[in-house]
Amino acid sequence: MNESTIDRREIARKLREVIDPELGVNIVDLGLVYNILYDDGRVIVEFTATTPGCPMRRFLRQQVEEKLASIDEIREYEALLVWEPEWNVDMIEEDVDFFANPPPQL
Amino acid sequence: MAQTQDKVPASILVGLLVLAAAGLLSGLYAGLARLGLWAGSGHAISPTAHGPLMINGFLGTLIGLERAAALEKKWAFAAPVFMAASTLLMLAGLHVPAGWALILGSVGLTLVMGFLYYLQPNIYHLIMALGAVSLLAGNLLYINAYPVYSLVGWWAAFPMLTIFGERLELNRIMRPPKQARRLFAGLIMGWILALAVMHIDRRVGWSIASVLLIGISGWLIKYDIARRTIKAAAWTRYSAICLLSGYAWLILAGLLGLFIGLPTAGPLYDGILHMIFVGFVFSMIFAHASVIIPSLSGMHIPWHTYFYLPLILLHIFLISRLVGDLLWMPVIRKIGGYGNVAAIMLFLGGILFMLVRQAVNQRNHRKETSA
Repeated sequence: MNESTIDRREIARKLREVIDPELGVNIVDLGLVYNILYDDGRVIVEFTATTPGCPMRRFLRQQVEEKLASIDEIREYEALLVWEPEWNVDMIEEDVDFFANPPPQL
Repeated sequence: MAQTQDKVPASILVGLLVLAAAGLLSGLYAGLARLGLWAGSGHAISPTAHGPLMINGFLGTLIGLERAAALEKKWAFAAPVFMAASTLLMLAGLHVPAGWALILGSVGLTLVMGFLYYLQPNIYHLIMALGAVSLLAGNLLYINAYPVYSLVGWWAAFPMLTIFGERLELNRIMRPPKQARRLFAGLIMGWILALAVMHIDRRVGWSIASVLLIGISGWLIKYDIARRTIKAAAWTRYSAICLLSGYAWLILAGLLGLFIGLPTAGPLYDGILHMIFVGFVFSMIFAHASVIIPSLSGMHIPWHTYFYLPLILLHIFLISRLVGDLLWMPVIRKIGGYGNVAAIMLFLGGILFMLVRQAVNQRNHRKETSA
């Protein structure tokens, strides 16, 4: 699958609107988004959760899919939850302000 | 078009959530009957079912469901299904199969928590798994006709260890010192051992458990994110207040337990147990509702300052119950008990109202935009 930098930026911008309700930080800055794969209108976002027992992962996937659906150029999309590599706090962007964002209203 | 990975329909999650609520409501009913409400009339639910329904029917189903939904493996749903079945069987008066359902549910939950530890062998997963083992231990003693006072420590350990593990997991973002994390794990392991000691010497065991409980609560107050999130707003601030007030109740329960131990019956037994189960556990439920419900239903709960009302009432009426217990004034204890049930119902009612209002608003909005 080919990757397009321009489209990935647009997708990443949208994914920054997905807020982890427990931490009040978007999933990109939390380091939960591992990869954005793009090819001919089809997008796969590989993301993870802070732990395999995270109750929010279903909610986060719904939110990711909602954001992908809102981009006109995307014809087909998939929010793919992966566990490799295991997430850790060092993956969080520096100077992140936790709880700065209220959780999204559906 | 999305290629969703969801394996379990949302209707099943919501259905099991409703059964957990049935466990809660029937458990509260049994609690009111235990307090003497409707005295003289036949009870639809036995007052003695209060503990099993609250621990297994409500907390077992809810926590089992939360974990199964997180894992998204069909076999993991066996735990909440058996726990919910135990509620229905108990309400039908079928106590023997209800007991077996409790065991199967708690074995299922132990396997789920054990699987999580297998996936990520971290201390917080181990603590949560030990919580499930505690539930299993308590339920094995229960179906073997051990008196509730002798096993209630194991039942209490289930929600407590689950919450301790979750808080430790979330606290990674605060990067607490490694030694502090080890201390926390050590305090918890010591606390579990103290519960075992209670079977040899109840007074000594609970005294050790009480000291450790104060230590655990102190650690949480110092290191939990709640001291920081209390400066935030809306649900985040509310959750922080719930968390800190819950930790304070644990300290008070520890102090009281240190002086009087854990009696086998009577007002002081009632006081200590409800400081833990109402003061701590329900504060944690209020704190986490804004996360648990969206994770299961996909519906976010709009914030409203109304939610402070049931929280304040929960604490005020628990103080009343405790005063009634300590001063041997049954009427004051009853008022506190009834008030606690009212506070819980006001919280649930508020959640339900906000969800329904939001759904109606969204439907109206869709109609307006399509017109």
